[in-house]
Amino acid sequence: MQELLEAIAEPRRREILRLVRSEELPAGAIAANFADVTRPAISQHLRVLREAGLLAERREGTRRLYRARPEGFGDLREFVSEFWDDRLEVLRREAETEQRRRHHADHRN
Amino acid sequence: MPTIATEPIIKEIHVDAQPETVFAFFTEADKLTRWLAAEAATDPRPGGIFHQTHRVEGVDYLLRGEFVEVDPPHRVVFTWGFENSEIGVGPGISTVEVTLTPSDGGTHLRLVHSGLPEQARSAHDEGWDTELGKLVRTLAA
Repeated sequence: MQELLEAIAEPRRREILRLVRSEELPAGAIAANFADVTRPAISQHLRVLREAGLLAERREGTRRLYRARPEGFGDLREFVSEFWDDRLEVLRREAETEQRRRHHADHRN
Repeated sequence: MPTIATEPIIKEIHVDAQPETVFAFFTEADKLTRWLAAEAATDPRPGGIFHQTHRVEGVDYLLRGEFVEVDPPHRVVFTWGFENSEIGVGPGISTVEVTLTPSDGGTHLRLVHSGLPEQARSAHDEGWDTELGKLVRTLAA
């Protein structure tokens, strides 16, 4: 889920998703919308979106075509469920660290 | 449109720390920032604030909750909702109940998150109507 949120946190990646929301586009056509961004940087954005499950890639000859995968967003319940899995794991670590710290402090006193 | 609540989310974990230690991580602002939020402000008593800022890659999500029950170190209940409308869970909408039970020299933690709204999905636009889909649409508008 962190991967997904990070994928959409970058404004240019959101712009890419908007571009390919209703039509499939080749990488070149996507890149043409970003005069100030290098082609390798666009490829990198496409890769991040693909790995987050938000973009589908299809090859046609030498061209690669992209379209948005809105189903990649999943649903709210799933999102919150994964959120708690991640957070509670950190809580466990922090609370155990805190407990050890207290234990040592008690032994010093 | 009426919102239908989804089934509660239930999480149970064991923590090698005493209930008192774990409890503080739900009520003290300087401990909440160690696991849950970038910023926090709390007033741990029924009706007291449970405010947090969650930050994801520089985007702030403002959680505006309230404590409902505070029974240290056994049980704490708070409401869970965000000011950012694109999240789709407004303040006061959902509730998180945390129960701590001594177990094996540590704590058994049970978290129940209930009242999350079922989202509307339209057949032609499935996915974009989910909370993250809405978020992207809002941010990309």
